[in-house]
Amino acid sequence: MRSKLFFLTGMSLKRKIKTKWFVLANLLLCLGIVGIFNINSIIKFFGGDFDEPIQIYVLDETNKSYAILKEQIHAMDEGYYGEDSNTYEVLPYTEEEDITSFIQGESKKYAFILKKDDEHVLDVTLMSDGYIDTVDYQLLSTAINNTKTTLATNESNIPLEEVNKIVGQVDIKREILDETKKTEDENTGMIMKTVFPMVILPFFMLTIFLVQMIGAEVNDEKTTRGMEIIISNVSAKTHFTSKVLAGNFFVLLQGGLLIAYVFVGFIIKNLLSSNHLFTGIDTVIGGTVSKVFESSFASQLAYVIPLSLVLMILTFVAYSLLAGILASITTNTEDFQQLQTPIMIILLVGYYLAIMASTFKGALFIHILSYVPLISAILSPSLLVIGQVGIIDVIISIGITILFDYLLIHFGLKIYKVGILNYSSEGLWKKMFKALKQK
Amino acid sequence: MLKVEHVTKYYGDFLAVDDLSFTVKEGEIFGLLGVNGAGKTTTFRMIMGLLDPTKGSVTLDGKKIDYSITDKIGFLTEERSLLTKLTVYDQCIFYGTLKGMSKQKIEERLDMLLEKFSISQYKHKKIKELSKGNQQKIQFITAILNEPKLLILDEPFSGLDPFNIELFKKEILELSKAGSMIIFSSHRMDHVELFCKKLVVLLHGKSVLEGYLKDIKEDYQKQNIFIQGEFDVEEVKKIKGVLAVNYENEYIVKIESQEVVPLVFKKLKDATITKFVVEEASLNEIFIEKVGEEYEK
Repeated sequence: MRSKLFFLTGMSLKRKIKTKWFVLANLLLCLGIVGIFNINSIIKFFGGDFDEPIQIYVLDETNKSYAILKEQIHAMDEGYYGEDSNTYEVLPYTEEEDITSFIQGESKKYAFILKKDDEHVLDVTLMSDGYIDTVDYQLLSTAINNTKTTLATNESNIPLEEVNKIVGQVDIKREILDETKKTEDENTGMIMKTVFPMVILPFFMLTIFLVQMIGAEVNDEKTTRGMEIIISNVSAKTHFTSKVLAGNFFVLLQGGLLIAYVFVGFIIKNLLSSNHLFTGIDTVIGGTVSKVFESSFASQLAYVIPLSLVLMILTFVAYSLLAGILASITTNTEDFQQLQTPIMIILLVGYYLAIMASTFKGALFIHILSYVPLISAILSPSLLVIGQVGIIDVIISIGITILFDYLLIHFGLKIYKVGILNYSSEGLWKKMFKALKQK
Repeated sequence: MLKVEHVTKYYGDFLAVDDLSFTVKEGEIFGLLGVNGAGKTTTFRMIMGLLDPTKGSVTLDGKKIDYSITDKIGFLTEERSLLTKLTVYDQCIFYGTLKGMSKQKIEERLDMLLEKFSISQYKHKKIKELSKGNQQKIQFITAILNEPKLLILDEPFSGLDPFNIELFKKEILELSKAGSMIIFSSHRMDHVELFCKKLVVLLHGKSVLEGYLKDIKEDYQKQNIFIQGEFDVEEVKKIKGVLAVNYENEYIVKIESQEVVPLVFKKLKDATITKFVVEEASLNEIFIEKVGEEYEK
């Protein structure tokens, strides 16, 4: 019977994997993921206006502001877009033509007209043909303000040391009384609140794959009556086990492939940018991931990852058991598709609670729900990462999920045995309750 | 030997099979007949071990049928029980392996049977791409792939043309000669009559007629006389023991018993007769009468 179990498991996997749709779906997934991680390069490859720098012409009637403004804009450019950025090109306006007609009709040309103002130090006009992007406007605004401050301090004969004191930032000494927490990880913790929900997204996706796979297979075998031949040769228990095993092997394989696509994406990004490994997607996420890896969170991952994986695998088992049981009692694919909706809502609840957990710190409701099977795989590791639950809480969640899996196997198998050979929805609940009472 | 002893099956309060008993010996072809909902499929499911009887037992060679002996059984269900997305080859490997066969053995048997049924060209085609008749052939092949000791055939000729029915018949008779026990269900009484030595007729889960076909026909005294020629039909109808005279290309005189034959013959001695053949009643007639009587109760 064991060899038949392995055969059935292999057959289920083969029926799922050896299809052109699986290959096509993975090809698209691979292209999509690699594409997302290299979106900057792709956009740059096709070119566009962004390739050309914004030319900022400065008509400096003060004769002393141009050099300072140029330096400030350059500093803003580097600070926001990176060291090699060449987003803005600052040029003195030396043309004889009127500056208004020079800028007119040119979307990539702006002009600063700087005049001396006794009251406000500088009288500034920023001229453009159309609207200016918000980010560009803010950067240019900061640069001109800094220019004004520099000009004003230069003119007021205040010693440089004093100027630095005035404009310099206040040094805040951060003290955290909990000795286990490090101040340098404070920002990383904030970042993790946004990063972790992204990490658990594949779990969400894989669970849907799993539920659909098991449901479709059981329904296919039921509706074609192939189930009668199968169950006349192997027990319902063996059949059920094979479906659960195949479903879980499939999601592990698909999960592994997703990770592989991510690495392929990173490697390609790395080759294209010849930069740090984690500078993918864009500088914000790349920087975030780098920060996480450089912080003491890296050491936390040593237990967060294994605990999360164990909980996720046990939850996959729970979902596959649930999908098998539900599929066995339905009489056609449409009925099973309807039953998938509540499963997805359960998943969504877990996902939203994981995102909301950082907003509602210490919420008892969320804490209790982190022990609830089916959603604990998403919620519990999320709370652990942001420090709202400890390792013990996650271990309790694991224990509860094991118990839940056991109960699903114990009672679900009784329903499955009756359900797979039942082709009528008449008196369904009566049949199922009766099945539950059987020894 | 397959022994079904006093088997009763209840679904809740509904009695599906009521105290059914029969035996099938090696090499015997047994007919399980009945109208829709008579309890045939429930009986097959109990024989296959898919359902547990509420009372009674089913044994094969003295052993309760469980997963240790299902490898010796072949089952062809009334509905198509094929996974239509698979190819013929994959389907046969699937069901064959579940029967405990090695891949090599399955391939050997499959090639031989595909050749026999003239469908070798479909070996790597998906089942859903095949015609209804060819799908039925594949289903039959999967049922006999393991050279079963006990073969259960629920409406095996469904969707087949007369030529393919002959192919199936030939194979079933060969299996019977090789010693397989075969249980056969069909709505077509002519098929049952041709194959089965023994049968049971079910109605509402209860046996209303059972035994060897020969004995059943002997016990059922009514006979038919097939007559061709010119004679006075009204005079024949008046003979005591003549139940009816029908005309379907020839006259069919239905009589109560064999004793009526000489009376009819005597009446026709002066008429111009080219055919006078006495035949036993067909199983179809027996079935309709027996089941009809009980049906109306």
